[in-house]
Amino acid sequence: MTAPLLEVEGLRTHFLTRAGVAKAVDGVSFVLQPGEILGLVGESGSGKSVTGFSLIGLVDPPGRIVGGSIRFAGQELVGLPAEQMRALRGRRIAMVFQDPQATLNPVLTIGTQMALALQAHDRVSDRAAAERAATMLTRVGIPDAAARLGNYPHEFSGGMRQRVAIAMALLNGPELIIADEPTTALDVSIQAQILHEMKALAAESGTALIWISHDLATVSALAHRVLVMYAGRIVESGPVGAVLRAPLHPYTRGLLDSLPAMTEPGRRLRQIPGTAPSLLALPPGCPFAPRCPRADAACTAPPPRVDHAERRALCHHPLEAAA
Amino acid sequence: MLGYVIQRLLQAALVMLAMSALVFAGVYAIGNPIDVLISPDATQDIRAEAIRRYGLDLPLWQQYLAFLGRLLRGDFGQSFVFGMPVLDLILSRLPATLELALAAVLIGTLLGVPLGIHAGYRPDSALSRAIMAVSVLGFSVPTFWVGLILILTFAVNLDWLPAGDRGPTLEVFGVGWSFLTLEGLSFLLLPALNLSLFKLAMMIRLSRAGTREAMLTDTVKFARAAGLSDLTILRRHVLRLISIPIVTVFGLELGSTLAFAVVTETIFSWPGVGKLIIDSITSLDRPVMVAYLVLVAFLFVTINLVVDLSYALLDPRLRRGGAAA
Repeated sequence: MTAPLLEVEGLRTHFLTRAGVAKAVDGVSFVLQPGEILGLVGESGSGKSVTGFSLIGLVDPPGRIVGGSIRFAGQELVGLPAEQMRALRGRRIAMVFQDPQATLNPVLTIGTQMALALQAHDRVSDRAAAERAATMLTRVGIPDAAARLGNYPHEFSGGMRQRVAIAMALLNGPELIIADEPTTALDVSIQAQILHEMKALAAESGTALIWISHDLATVSALAHRVLVMYAGRIVESGPVGAVLRAPLHPYTRGLLDSLPAMTEPGRRLRQIPGTAPSLLALPPGCPFAPRCPRADAACTAPPPRVDHAERRALCHHPLEAAA
Repeated sequence: MLGYVIQRLLQAALVMLAMSALVFAGVYAIGNPIDVLISPDATQDIRAEAIRRYGLDLPLWQQYLAFLGRLLRGDFGQSFVFGMPVLDLILSRLPATLELALAAVLIGTLLGVPLGIHAGYRPDSALSRAIMAVSVLGFSVPTFWVGLILILTFAVNLDWLPAGDRGPTLEVFGVGWSFLTLEGLSFLLLPALNLSLFKLAMMIRLSRAGTREAMLTDTVKFARAAGLSDLTILRRHVLRLISIPIVTVFGLELGSTLAFAVVTETIFSWPGVGKLIIDSITSLDRPVMVAYLVLVAFLFVTINLVVDLSYALLDPRLRRGGAAA
């Protein structure tokens, strides 16, 4: 077994607000191998995006990493000086965001924006930067790339814009790309294309991918392993096939059942009752207990870790795993 | 784009026409210049002769049409007081005001925008708090008082800079300019600083608000995720994102400073158009007043046109008739 690319151990990112401490990420641990695709799934506010931003060192105040460790290729990232972290961003760990309309600067040509991303890390002449940018745009499937470097973001369609953003992320050949719901803002037909191409590009360049999404369907099509987050914690993790076939945690079961494809046509869509708890006032013990069909008195105590082959869950009453 | 320019030029021409009518009617409603022009003990004949000579016996609309006709030929008439063509009179004073206003707005912008960006980038730092204090002062302290304090400090007590007047000028294109010589600059500095304080305060506020907003956008976050340094992000991304309101205010301030730098020009005895217009109002020198106001309207219309056209340069989404995808 090769050395892992990323080892996250007990990561805790809290937001110190006037109303109290919001524990957005509270004790997250996982390991990522080089070239692996990891799906990070959860509802809004489960802490999945904050986890992503913690990895790349871009948690906005009042948020702060208050504990834990992030080891990237053997290097500790928590507490790394700002300039070293900056040098790492974009070059070795890149990120793609949800809405390409908002991420690309509307008043700069994409050629300029890509050149800035290159020149942030290397002394690259404008001409060489344009060549590298055009090559990368061609790789992500933008036709006539060299001519389009002079275009502004609004001259591209939504799907093309996201390809530009992906090309920018790939530009410096990173070892890890964190993709924060990059297909959510796109048409369904474009989603499938982007998904397919991301998978191909990651495989081709050996880049590891953390795919953050609320959508189990996209994750199942893409990822090798999946982490399910709830209220700042990973409640279940394991190989994507096994987890989706027979989840251990009732929350994962609930997420799966609420997928429209799992419901017979004509029936009401199923949903998980209640809403995600406020991070400022988490219930004691298992945070999912108030919404959980299997909850009982035991659930007011912190849930134990359940190991089942390669899979793990945090639950007092795990579902039976199919053999 | 060309259609847009033509449309804007036509609009500008209409504004100028409306403005000239308003100014003409407004100025002719106040006072009778004949009382000022001829001595009170002149005979009735001399009086009637003067009224005829200046065309004041005609109905207002005929006077206006005659005025408009002369205007289109570039003839603004003769000053009642100075007895010389109004255009020559104003043009002899305009460069002084032009360089003063331009210097003031440039100082305000070139200092105010970087300071404002810093204040927006690090809103809680001690430097940012100091910058904001300066901007509050700039808004609230009256110009004439600051002018007097500047003279008292730098001219009277320290004796570093002249207290007023324009000093020597260098002739270029037949017009005298102060900013081309070191000595001329020493005369320009204090009044320009005085005028720039308000603009500085305004630019600080504007850039700070824009920067604070821009720093929270996904555009900046994405640029950071690409590893750009904060300095590069501020210079290349944020500055471009906040440039439209800055250019707008730059244009408005330049226009209003050109037209109404009266207080500072008076305090520093700066021989610009502001003083000219005040003098011509007190002596009811109608042709000067009318020509001045028409010229001010022309300057505003021109500056606004340039500002509008520069939007298209700054924001590519506005280039194709405003249709953004």
